[in-house]
Amino acid sequence: MTKPLALPLIGAALAALTAPAFAQDGAAFYKGKTVTYIVATAPGGGYDTYGRLVSEFMQKYLPGSTIVVRNMPGAGHLVGTNAIYASKPDGLTIGSFNTGLIYNQLINAEGVRFDLSKMSWIGKAATDARVIVVASQSPVKTWAEFVGLKEPINFATAGLGSASYVETVMLTNVMKLPVRVQTGYNGTDDQLAMRRGEIVGSIASRSSYDQFIKNGFGRYIAQVGGQEKDIPQLSSLVTDAKAKELIALIESTGEIARLTAGPAGIPASQLNALRAAYKQAMDDKELQARAEKLERPVEPLIGDDIAKMINAALKQSPETVTLLKESLQKPKS
Amino acid sequence: MIEVMFGSLAGLLTNGHTMGLMLLAVMIGLVVGATPGIGGRLSIALAIPFIYGMDMTQGAVFLLTMHAVNGTSGQISSIMFGVPGDGDDAATTVDGYPMAKKGEAGRALGASITASGVGGIIGAVVFAVMIPVLEPVVLAFSPAEFFLLAVLGITFIAFLAGKGQIFKGIIVGLFGMMLSTVGMDPQTGTARFSGDYLFLWDGISTVTAVLAVFAIPEMIALGARGGSIAMMSSQNVTVSYRQLFQGVLEVPRHWWLVIRTSIIGACIGMIPGLGGSAAAWLCYGHAVQTSKTPERFGHGAVEGVIAPETASNAKEGGSLLPTLFFGIPGSSGMAVMMGAFLILGIQPGPAMMTSNLPLVWTLIWALVVGNLIAVTFLLFITRWVALLTFVNVSMLVPFILTLVMVGVYSSEGQWENLIVLLAIAAIGWGLQRYDWPRAPFVIGLVLGKIAEESLHKALGLWGMSFFWRPLSLVLIALICATIAYAVYANVKGKTVMPAGAGSGAGS
Repeated sequence: MTKPLALPLIGAALAALTAPAFAQDGAAFYKGKTVTYIVATAPGGGYDTYGRLVSEFMQKYLPGSTIVVRNMPGAGHLVGTNAIYASKPDGLTIGSFNTGLIYNQLINAEGVRFDLSKMSWIGKAATDARVIVVASQSPVKTWAEFVGLKEPINFATAGLGSASYVETVMLTNVMKLPVRVQTGYNGTDDQLAMRRGEIVGSIASRSSYDQFIKNGFGRYIAQVGGQEKDIPQLSSLVTDAKAKELIALIESTGEIARLTAGPAGIPASQLNALRAAYKQAMDDKELQARAEKLERPVEPLIGDDIAKMINAALKQSPETVTLLKESLQKPKS
Repeated sequence: MIEVMFGSLAGLLTNGHTMGLMLLAVMIGLVVGATPGIGGRLSIALAIPFIYGMDMTQGAVFLLTMHAVNGTSGQISSIMFGVPGDGDDAATTVDGYPMAKKGEAGRALGASITASGVGGIIGAVVFAVMIPVLEPVVLAFSPAEFFLLAVLGITFIAFLAGKGQIFKGIIVGLFGMMLSTVGMDPQTGTARFSGDYLFLWDGISTVTAVLAVFAIPEMIALGARGGSIAMMSSQNVTVSYRQLFQGVLEVPRHWWLVIRTSIIGACIGMIPGLGGSAAAWLCYGHAVQTSKTPERFGHGAVEGVIAPETASNAKEGGSLLPTLFFGIPGSSGMAVMMGAFLILGIQPGPAMMTSNLPLVWTLIWALVVGNLIAVTFLLFITRWVALLTFVNVSMLVPFILTLVMVGVYSSEGQWENLIVLLAIAAIGWGLQRYDWPRAPFVIGLVLGKIAEESLHKALGLWGMSFFWRPLSLVLIALICATIAYAVYANVKGKTVMPAGAGSGAGS
């Protein structure tokens, strides 16, 4: 009678042993290997900064490995993301891209050759709250004043189809905001245009505007997501159910910012090793100190938690998807 | 003010550690600049981990010097082999390479290196002078003005094409503008002429196009011709310090042009959004337009080397301004620099003017001193480098072609660009073989994109009324005058035709 009892026991013992050993095996796998970390933008800017920081410290915690950063800019992160997704799932190619690609996948946009729900998620380094900013020259001081405007004001977004464009147009359409969308403002063009006065406001990520606000060039009137308590959350300012759903979607993409992921199907041992190294990197005091100097927040999340959030974000009601599609329709000239 | 100004200079020069770092930065900057495809942006990004231990001033001086001298060495390959490192170097190629072919590589290099050094210094002076009036000047330029400036640059094509070739010039220019429409339309979100190829969504890469139109055809022609780049044996022409010195003297001889193009370059650098290639080409166009003998350009006119080089180095001083004082980077290179400034504990923004003036002056001086070191060093080694133009091309061509291809690949990390290189090179070779002007192509490609994007923005913001903005009216007047002058010169040129054949051997 000992046999049937022994088997599950041995099994349990084995399982208990292999769980940590899994990561250990994985770590051994990386000895002497070169990992390519694809950053889907050109050098410089947030994605590149986080990418280089993360890869430097992951290398530290994957002994014997070399992690090489490779910039693959193009087509609004699509080129790099497609490359990550198409790479061999051996745990030797990982990378980082804009979470806004969730929108592209939701509406099955041109150029999407990946499925975010299948990717191997390693971690995310930050939360990128969105803010609604107006230039300091504008008389608008609060959300109520903004919504009450009689004449629409100019808001800048990047090119049509970019995440900033999608978010601005969706919010404008659903909440009937007094906003005229002006496209084609890439990088920090929008900040300069706000200084000149041709653009009055923008819906953008908070981290890219903190400096601008600190210099007294503008003010925040509402925020979507994030931990900061200094500005009212947009969701608390609206009552419309449809708008709330939309704000939740934007909040969830902002939640998973500066992510690191690999192609679908990385073997569990390698994936666990990568996740373990990512976690150790994020806990590293030196990384935190450097990020702080760069004014880049570190609010990490590891592994499956991200997969869950991505999958939740990808499950949108048909109305929201229609809304997304409509906002991407070419404007009538 | 004066006290702070010279105090900073003394502080910079007497600190051995800082000067040592600067020397190192100059060397790194020059090597990176001489390698096609590796931009200054990437080199700063790679250098960032090294500045963590440095103090504020040293780190900033180190990075800024590295960035500032980056453009200084790119001219060497442009002049000697007709291989420009990027869009702004291409303007130097147009006249620099013909000079090398005439055996005047030493003179061309002497002139261009000195010009870029002087340009960098004047740029720093403009920087210093502009500090008080920075805000109104920079903020005066909106998309409406960008559009008109780009159009003004495009009208310079009329002068660049050379006598009797105005229609060829326009055709080539329009072809360049046509290629500039490849990619994602920012207004409608439609991918144009890109098929299923995502790498085309961002348009044709400027580095690739420039190398295809200038470098590859020259290499083909060289390989077919044999011999050496300089079309005479090294016994007849020795690259002596005298020839180099003659080149250096060309800069004071054209002092008025040097000052004008430096100021134009610095001002364009100051206005975020126009980019470095626009500065070099606008100044090249300006040099041709104001020359008494415009027919010499394209066949080895020394002014054609001086103008773009002063401009492309002068703009570095300018582009630092919005970065430091607005906290809004003027170019992608400066965006990386701003990240580095934050690491060093420098808070860019309006407060810099009051709280950190000594640092600002140290940076201005670093631009000046860095340029001087770079120029001295390059002039010193040029004598040997220029000898390469007398080497048999069978040894040179394969090496240069490899360098070009590596540059094209590494500039964006996409192998597809090699196919684009091949396709455009075929056209470039045709242009070269049948003696069509090639400079208008780059102007069309670079400025066409700026013109289109800014026109869309201006129309979206103001509708047709953007033409009535005061600065717009000034620019429109300039454009009309340029066109009128071009028509006049062309008509007059036809009747008095063969007057100015003074330049001798052109190819």
